[in-house]
Amino acid sequence: MSAVISEKKSRNNLVVSYLTVGGIIILAMMVFGVLMLLAQGGSLNLSPAAFYQFLTIHGTGMVGAAALAAAGVMWYFLSKYVELSKKIAQVNLALFLIGVVMVIIGVFSFEYASAWTFLYPLPAISANAWGVTGALLYLFGMLILGIGFLLFYLDTGRAIIKKYGSLAKGLGWDVISGKKAEKDAPSSTIVASTMVTIVNITALTAGAIVLIMNIINVINPAFTFDPLLAKNLTFAFGHIFANSIIYMAVIAVYEILSKYTNRPWKANKPFLIAWTMSTAFTLVIYTHHMLMDSVMPKWMLIMGQVLSYANGLPVLVITAYGALMIVYKSGIKWDMGSGLIFLSMFGWVVGVVPAIVDATIVVNHVMHNTKWVPGHFHMYMALGACAMIFGFMYYLAKEDSNVEEQIFDKIAFLGYTLGILGLSGSFLVSGALSTPRRWATHFPEWMAPANFGAAAGVLTALSLTMFVVHFIRYLSNRNKVEMSPESKKLA
Amino acid sequence: MKQTISGVVLFCILLIPPVRTYMESIMILHMLVQLPLLILAGWLAGKVVIQKFSRFFAKYNENGVPGITLVIIITMYWMLPRAMDEALTFYHVELFKFLGLPFLVGIPLRDSWHKLKAVGKSFVYLNYLPMFGLMAWLYIDTPIQICNNYLEVQQKVLGWGFLIITAFMVLYIIQFVFTDHSEQES
Ligand code: HEM
Ligand SMILES: [Cu+2]
Repeated sequence: MSAVISEKKSRNNLVVSYLTVGGIIILAMMVFGVLMLLAQGGSLNLSPAAFYQFLTIHGTGMVGAAALAAAGVMWYFLSKYVELSKKIAQVNLALFLIGVVMVIIGVFSFEYASAWTFLYPLPAISANAWGVTGALLYLFGMLILGIGFLLFYLDTGRAIIKKYGSLAKGLGWDVISGKKAEKDAPSSTIVASTMVTIVNITALTAGAIVLIMNIINVINPAFTFDPLLAKNLTFAFGHIFANSIIYMAVIAVYEILSKYTNRPWKANKPFLIAWTMSTAFTLVIYTHHMLMDSVMPKWMLIMGQVLSYANGLPVLVITAYGALMIVYKSGIKWDMGSGLIFLSMFGWVVGVVPAIVDATIVVNHVMHNTKWVPGHFHMYMALGACAMIFGFMYYLAKEDSNVEEQIFDKIAFLGYTLGILGLSGSFLVSGALSTPRRWATHFPEWMAPANFGAAAGVLTALSLTMFVVHFIRYLSNRNKVEMSPESKKLA
Repeated sequence: MKQTISGVVLFCILLIPPVRTYMESIMILHMLVQLPLLILAGWLAGKVVIQKFSRFFAKYNENGVPGITLVIIITMYWMLPRAMDEALTFYHVELFKFLGLPFLVGIPLRDSWHKLKAVGKSFVYLNYLPMFGLMAWLYIDTPIQICNNYLEVQQKVLGWGFLIITAFMVLYIIQFVFTDHSEQES
């Protein structure tokens, strides 16, 4: 019995490491976000070069850290159904840290600042803003990070195939086609994990190609490549990988709400169909990043637009509806964990609306590259995906130790919500004022929303600090308490 | 035994001067036919070698990782355009090609592949996939002549060859993960 407990503890340890690293990096990156806004608002004197370095580290760090933390969430729940390799998850974490260090050195010591999208041929042609070393450190760092994640998803894919037979069955296609009864459908965690495995292995493969291509071009600029193909591959990687964060984190919604309400989250047919649709759409809609590239085949752009509307919706609708149904009259006890999870549904829904508006070609011609874009993705990343992750952190703390939630945590909950709403709102207002995104310097007319956003950002960061403090209190508490063999009852 | 003989015969055929010269005169034959056949020759003949030196392989290639690493390093080297160029220009590179590919790729590949775990296999596979895709892109798209010995047109043909291989690799993996593997143990 004690062997089982210690094995569970050590698996939890690993998940805890993922979330600690993820949480702390997200917090640190918020500081750079605030500094950028202060610079844009004219309140802080920051050289443009420094601004672009901050932009690069903020984008890379946020996407990477949120992906790592979300992968931790997925690993935690998935390993209850299938047998995952602990070693591979450890290797992923190690490669992540190595990659992050290389990226940090590349950005801050060698002034690399291409933004996290490293769009070809920018890494090689920087007008001497940075040199070969910085570019190579960054690109190789990303490659190493990618290799870690690739191993991670290969392992999840292997484990799912081993247990369920194929990825098709992991998505529940045999239930959709009627060969298997609905009650034997794979659990929601398996379905989501299968989806993420598929899309992210695709994304990472595309990313590897375009990273090595950039590396060749940086080392020897005589080797040039087709920039349009490079852009396609870059966004096939970037869009899918960033998008996958919420699909990993949403597993926390399914598992935690069903645990709190003592009701199962059933994977019925509409649920399975929704996830299959989102799998397919996620793979092809990256073309909405290319709506301004008139040389792209028209059908691809139209597909990008139409399917972008449809992309998140199936899963979003089925999840939001499911969340309401499972909570309805369940006598659920609200605390930080369930509260953040519920907040995340709100953030996701609200964040998708301006995204859909922007994915319309006519609107995109106006809004493209304005701050409208960070407006919608901050809402759905910070209030959607990240809230799921933080909700999971509170849930884990409660399940695995006996730290108490305090009044500060509740204040932080409020602060976080208001902070992100203010931040995203300020971005959207800037966008409506036609403020371009990714500009180090703003005209005076553009400055007020930036300063407001900075204040909201400070509130957000302070609130997140409280979340992290709670998590660290849990870390120091968990080693002191004996764990009961059965996991604790929460509701 | 039969396999070993066919491996040796294949190797000898590849050594015949007109065969060798012809294959090396066309870029795509050189890269995508001659080199893989040399590996195949080593793989076929490898059965006996591995049996004979089973203690050595058990000791130094216990889990297959050292062997497959060697395979990856050497095959990556032969994907570099200049490696093919030098094989035509310097006899010692040519010698390395004819000895290295059967002995340092074919044989260790045979010994390592079945020792690797499922994750290891798919990792190797998914490393070659983007590598071949990149090679396709490089050879099709590059505006300069990369090799002294081959014209740009030949480069492009080779690139398309790589692209076709990549496409088949993608199709293979898709059918693999979407078909049922319930019964068999992985
Ligand atoms: C206190 C919280 C935050 C603040 C103050 C903040 C601020 C900013 C600012 C000022 C920008 C640049 C906008 C521009 O283009 O002019 C930006 C971009 C970005 N942020 Fe945040 N952010 C915060 C939280 C987050 C979170 C939680 C995530 C994701 C998990 C995130 C992901 C990104 C990404 C991906 C970009 C795009 C970078 C690029 O354009 O290359 N941010 N943020
Ligand atoms: Cu996108």
